[in-house]
Amino acid sequence: MAAGLPKRILKETERLMADSPPGISALPHENNLRYFDVKINGPGGSPYEGGVFKAELFLPEDYPMAPPKVRFLTKIYHPNIDKLGRICLDILKNKWSPALQIRTVLLSIQALLGAPNPDDPLANDVAQHWKDDEKGAIGVAREWTEKFAKA
Amino acid sequence: MSKIPRNFKLLEELEKGEKGLGAESISYGLSNQDDITMTNWNGTILGPPHSTHENRIYSLTIICDESYPDKPPSVKFISKINLPCVGPLGQVLVDQFDTLKNWKRSYTMETVLLELRKCMAAPANKKLPQPAEGSTY
Repeated sequence: MAAGLPKRILKETERLMADSPPGISALPHENNLRYFDVKINGPGGSPYEGGVFKAELFLPEDYPMAPPKVRFLTKIYHPNIDKLGRICLDILKNKWSPALQIRTVLLSIQALLGAPNPDDPLANDVAQHWKDDEKGAIGVAREWTEKFAKA
Repeated sequence: MSKIPRNFKLLEELEKGEKGLGAESISYGLSNQDDITMTNWNGTILGPPHSTHENRIYSLTIICDESYPDKPPSVKFISKINLPCVGPLGQVLVDQFDTLKNWKRSYTMETVLLELRKCMAAPANKKLPQPAEGSTY
């Protein structure tokens, strides 16, 4: 199964499984070792606290020259994450560097949950809500966490 | 070779469709922008010139279930059309349409729509009488 998988990916996977960052898990699919089921715990003090957010991560053929692809599968109310779970994060796009890893990507995504950035939105309506009424937006984010991330 | 998972393949297709990077004669997008499973899609085909389809716009539905892209999508015309590979309810008949019959994982919804358009323009089909413009199944 692991035949043909670059050493770097194997090493990253081993380390992720043996010593995963707090509140993050990533498990490769048995039939596709470049495809991971991810779970990220909402950071403490954020409206996502107490929720477990499922995501999926794929390492394309040209990884690590190209960034991993990541998407949330759990609905989440966040200005930088759209309705399909796509994430607006610079290191997943133009700020990617092969020195980064799956681990750093997942930690950055967890940090993004703790620090929404409505000035660089992906979900425009959510970002507008955040700017106009931060308290209200946080309230909705909390409701969604309760409703969708606590199955 | 790495095998791109269904969801990431569909996200790539969506992005291409959203940015209008593909062919101009066809288009496609999600039926419901909230559909996190990305199952139901709409497509359109601009009728090829020099045929009875000229200047018509055909609407279709495309269903990419869990088995996509290992298996082909289900494709159905909403706009009425007279074409050998389209059944009486508008469904594209797998056995009559090579792209679905000999499906490859590298094919996309764009492939399907473009091949259907080619089929509409084929010498054997381009003069087929067509139902009234705008009629639907």
